[in-house]
Amino acid sequence: MSYRVGVDIGGTFTDLVVVGEDGSTHAEKLLTTPDDFGRGIAMGLLSVLDKLGTTPAAVEEIVHGTTVATNIVLEHKGAHTGLITTEGFRDVLELRRLRIPEMYTLNWKKPPPLVPRRLRLEAKEKIGPQGEIRTPLSEESVRIACDMLLQENVSAVAIAYLHSYANPNHERRTASIVNEILGKDIYVTCSSDILPEIREYERTSTTVINAYLGPSLKAYFNSLQVHLKKIGISAPLQIMKSDGGVMSVIAAADKPAYIVESGPAAGVIGAARSTKSENIITLDMGGTTAKASIVEEGQISRTGDYEVGAGINLSSKLVMGGGYALKLPVIDISEIGAGGGSIVTIDRGGLLKVGPQSAGAVPGPVCYDLGGQDPTFTDAILTLGFLNQKHLIGGGLKISANKAKAVIENKIAAAMDRDLLETAWGIFQIACGTMVRAVKAVSTYRGRDPRQFSLFAFGGNGPVAAAELANLLQMNRVIIPSTPGVFSALGLLVSDVEHEVSQAWLHHLTDVTPGDIDNTFSGLEKDLSTLMTTEGFAEQTYEITRYVDLRYSGQAHELTVACPSTLKFIVLDQLATSFGNEHERTYGHQAEAEAVECVTLRAIARVIVDRPELVRSSPVELHECSPARSVYFGPRLGQITTPVISRNQLSKRTNGPLIIEEYDATCVVPPGWQTELNEIGNIVLTREETP
Amino acid sequence: MNDKHTETDPITLEVVQNGLSAIADEMALVIMRTAYSTIVRDSMDYSTGICDHEGRIVAHGMTMALHLGSFPDAMRCLIRDYGDKMYPGDIFVWNDPYDGGGQHLPDVYIVKPIFVEHSLEGFAATLVHQIDMGGIAPGSSAVYAKEIYQEGLRIPPIRLYDQGKPNKTFFSLMAKNTRMPDKLAGDMRAQVAACQTADTAFQDLVLRYGKKTYRNIITQLHDHAERIMRQEITSLPDGEWSFIDFIDGLGEKPEPIPLRVKITISQSDMILDWSGSSPQVDAAINCPVPFVKSACHLIVKCIATEKIPNFEGFTRPLDIRVPEGTIVNPLPPAACAARAIVGWRSLDLLLGCFAQIVPERVPAAGEGGVTFPSFSGFDGDNRFVCTEAWAGSWGGMRGRDGTFGIPNPGGNLTNQPIEMVEALFPLEITRYGMVQNSGGPGKHRGAPAYQREYRFLSDKTQMVMRSDRRRFLPYGLEGGAAGTPSWNIQNAGTPEQTPIPVMPMEPVTFCEGERFLHVSGGGGGHGNPLDRDPEAVLEDVLEQRLTSDYARDVYGVVLTKNLRAVDQDATQVLRATFAASKADQGKPAYLRHFHDTLDIENFRLIGEREMEINTENSER
Repeated sequence: MSYRVGVDIGGTFTDLVVVGEDGSTHAEKLLTTPDDFGRGIAMGLLSVLDKLGTTPAAVEEIVHGTTVATNIVLEHKGAHTGLITTEGFRDVLELRRLRIPEMYTLNWKKPPPLVPRRLRLEAKEKIGPQGEIRTPLSEESVRIACDMLLQENVSAVAIAYLHSYANPNHERRTASIVNEILGKDIYVTCSSDILPEIREYERTSTTVINAYLGPSLKAYFNSLQVHLKKIGISAPLQIMKSDGGVMSVIAAADKPAYIVESGPAAGVIGAARSTKSENIITLDMGGTTAKASIVEEGQISRTGDYEVGAGINLSSKLVMGGGYALKLPVIDISEIGAGGGSIVTIDRGGLLKVGPQSAGAVPGPVCYDLGGQDPTFTDAILTLGFLNQKHLIGGGLKISANKAKAVIENKIAAAMDRDLLETAWGIFQIACGTMVRAVKAVSTYRGRDPRQFSLFAFGGNGPVAAAELANLLQMNRVIIPSTPGVFSALGLLVSDVEHEVSQAWLHHLTDVTPGDIDNTFSGLEKDLSTLMTTEGFAEQTYEITRYVDLRYSGQAHELTVACPSTLKFIVLDQLATSFGNEHERTYGHQAEAEAVECVTLRAIARVIVDRPELVRSSPVELHECSPARSVYFGPRLGQITTPVISRNQLSKRTNGPLIIEEYDATCVVPPGWQTELNEIGNIVLTREETP
Repeated sequence: MNDKHTETDPITLEVVQNGLSAIADEMALVIMRTAYSTIVRDSMDYSTGICDHEGRIVAHGMTMALHLGSFPDAMRCLIRDYGDKMYPGDIFVWNDPYDGGGQHLPDVYIVKPIFVEHSLEGFAATLVHQIDMGGIAPGSSAVYAKEIYQEGLRIPPIRLYDQGKPNKTFFSLMAKNTRMPDKLAGDMRAQVAACQTADTAFQDLVLRYGKKTYRNIITQLHDHAERIMRQEITSLPDGEWSFIDFIDGLGEKPEPIPLRVKITISQSDMILDWSGSSPQVDAAINCPVPFVKSACHLIVKCIATEKIPNFEGFTRPLDIRVPEGTIVNPLPPAACAARAIVGWRSLDLLLGCFAQIVPERVPAAGEGGVTFPSFSGFDGDNRFVCTEAWAGSWGGMRGRDGTFGIPNPGGNLTNQPIEMVEALFPLEITRYGMVQNSGGPGKHRGAPAYQREYRFLSDKTQMVMRSDRRRFLPYGLEGGAAGTPSWNIQNAGTPEQTPIPVMPMEPVTFCEGERFLHVSGGGGGHGNPLDRDPEAVLEDVLEQRLTSDYARDVYGVVLTKNLRAVDQDATQVLRATFAASKADQGKPAYLRHFHDTLDIENFRLIGEREMEINTENSER
């Protein structure tokens, strides 16, 4: 039997999922080996294959998701990078868009630019907005810049000239001079290659991130391939992109900026594929943050408004400025500081706060008994009885329920003069309230009503909080996939190969003919075909879809609508109409009399693959079956003795209250909810009454 | 303690507070994404809020802080005029600074009362800086207007929608009174859309708790905000502090305009008294009182160690006293379009006061607030107006240098992308970046100034603008030097280089091919420059923020020949000499180096931070 392997590298653990061609799955958590990631992956994989009684030769594909790129940016450990800009504009990278993500602060710490000022050099040249050359490129000025970068010993160079989206020639010529002077091994990124779109700060920043990541990611991917080859794996290695597609390891080494959010993306893709055409909102609650995303009829939602390292990313331009702008397609995920490790405090006015500070994995919650002193979300839900009172991770982590109760009692309940359970419930409620905001950011903020969606919950803490969050949002259905704690690794294996090319194209729809659009699209599609060929895909294996970013003339923000591909007969009005409808759906109004303006054309190639249906897996049985325990479900319901079962024991439709304990997560089914397993082994919760 | 359990539990309070903020943020997003003019969509010069049934603010979006404090006055005016005569489907519009709680005519309120099961429970409120409301100059922000009647259409609170029906009379009247009817209509539509969004979400929220409980919760949250504010004030020492600062003045021969604030703290109460500020003036920089109150609210929130909730209850301990007829509380018909200059300066005054009360929390003065130019003219047959908001240099503070490239705390604005400006208007931007050898020296130096230069591609482009901080420099603190002055220069670097006043009293006209350069004020320094870590000075030189000559002349830091390291011995000797001698009065080294870059020679420093400048070419 052949196998496909998903590998998701995180800070502490590397999650490995192996899926057989019959759809059977096997999951494993390994310790990450930060000194040489490839070694840990290869060794871990070898031992898993051994357990399954098979050999590396049976592996036919490996898909990899990684937080390595994000961490390089967060920890400022990228390449010594130079930047060449148009004369007069080397500080665009540092000035950014000015705006900061906080109000009422006099002490905001601005993230330092990834390229220091001394490595930001200028070339004499200027291109106008229509691509016309206003000042020809002074090659002499480029050579002077290169000589300085040579002295400074940079290993990567980003090139970002004004309006290069409209005419890339100056950047291309500059790149060849860079190679001439700094050598062939230097890592070069042109802004017109990575993001040919208008708005110089966002394009420059994206280009710089790509160059900054390039050398390390290239080395990382090389080492991984060497290790895999060493253990006898010759299967192709695919890398998950931030937008949920995958790209070959060769392409990823060239454009690492595309894979920055590959970890979180995998979970959303997994959710989208395992629910097919349902409308779902995903909730991925881990140790530090909770992430939400929306999937409509199997279609994930993407955005270009993204920043690396912003910490909390509410998926909203209102809070921009905290990280480094990366304007490439990313799955639209809103993230908020509510996780298992979130610390509980009381403000000066006596109100309870949960997060965004986190106790992390070390020292972790007080109940871990590793020296943590601050009460956390995990301590609160342990106090409520949601979690096993003695251990977590199937017995792998001993915990102290008494310590958790004591810290909630002494530090919070006593200070507020409230009952212990009522306080712990309050903490749970506030964390859920915070998560409501993350869900709203991807739903109501975009004109979608969460009541028409199911909540798809995973991550270590997602299944604990899902039903209560659904209560608050009046959502009626919750889905918990199997192996919820390593779900992202599984998601890697159900993604599609997808590549996108785009081109800035600022024109009024009334000023162009279908032929104009068609010509530009044809050019894009030619580039895309070349790209697909280098990625190893024959023409009949993929489909190309066209999209247009449109806005009312004068607006700053675009909406993306699909563009019919039979452009010869395209009616431009049709585009305007779809745009108007989307505008109405998103913002509640349309302006029929307004001119519609085209900003960007996009072509996306999707590879058509037949994935095996995931079959119901056999999860690891718990060492012992926990006895029923007393669980507190809020002041109205009080404490209820609640049965505890494993997923396999859920044989028929059962009423809550019920706790389902698993190796990697705990699912809480409150009173008023019913639960059962569906055909692929997902736990499905249905709300029976209005809370 | 006994009645405690008749109150709503603190958890529900927190959940409601968050829920209301989420609605206000959602409104802000709707405006950002659907607005038309660059000043709204790219600079984000607008605000959103939710008010309770009495018009008290209970939540605001993450928007323009200096707007938000004027919502209370504006809402009072609306309720005064309409009281119980509001109906579902009504939407109100107004901008009157004198009888409507407005700020200046371009700032247009659009507010929708929200009814929940037939009773008024709150308001969705929006305030957007509209691109043009008519009047003497494109952009409606002429500094040189003398009466409000020259500034554009003045709208008292009236119905924009009457129970769901648009007020067609108003819309057609409006269209004839603006240079940019399409943009104005589009931006107003964005405001209405934001109000509609809030309406549904707000009703859901109230019904979740029931109206009675909801009102009870709101009352408690106002009290909670007041409690936090009082605790913050109590933690400050009791006493009286005051601060005086100046606006450079108007036109070619500016006369300084003084502002004064006195803060009195007594236990949990604070008085902010603006007596002693200049009488109102014959130009459009008079600042209607809602804006000054806004400034007070804003700075108090910045100073607090804990996050102050947005519930209006937090204002109860603040007694803001602003005498009538002054530049900070003008009487009609005083012109006020460019009032923000006084608003920005009042922030500097308040911070100057707090620097004496809690010195560890306050930075030295920054660039002086947003510089606000409006370019207009014709691109072929089409009229264009391009209004921008420039900012980005903060003063140093204890433990850190001033930050370069973030907005003034009063307005979390963004800059406009160069490529967008060039694609939309007949303007070319020729540089945008840092000015070398700028900012005030200090142990922690002020941020460098930024510069932005335009070349005009169409003939007869007019510029109306206001800036400040050329004569009265951004103040330093604790021995740090004042920041560097701002400059507006026509055709910089050519033999025809001509300075333009900080606030020209008429439009400046540029011919095709001419240039305009703005150099911002540089942030004030904090602490004695001779205490600056020589390695930090070296880093400034390596980063090309300062030249090595500047490092030597200003900081007494001598670098090795290759300019890669500090010459420790030579530095010690030079610093000892500097410490023993009186710094060069009149033309301190840092201002000399700064002005060398701009080729300006005739200046003299009086005292610590007043510049005397003679720009007559003949006297050079």
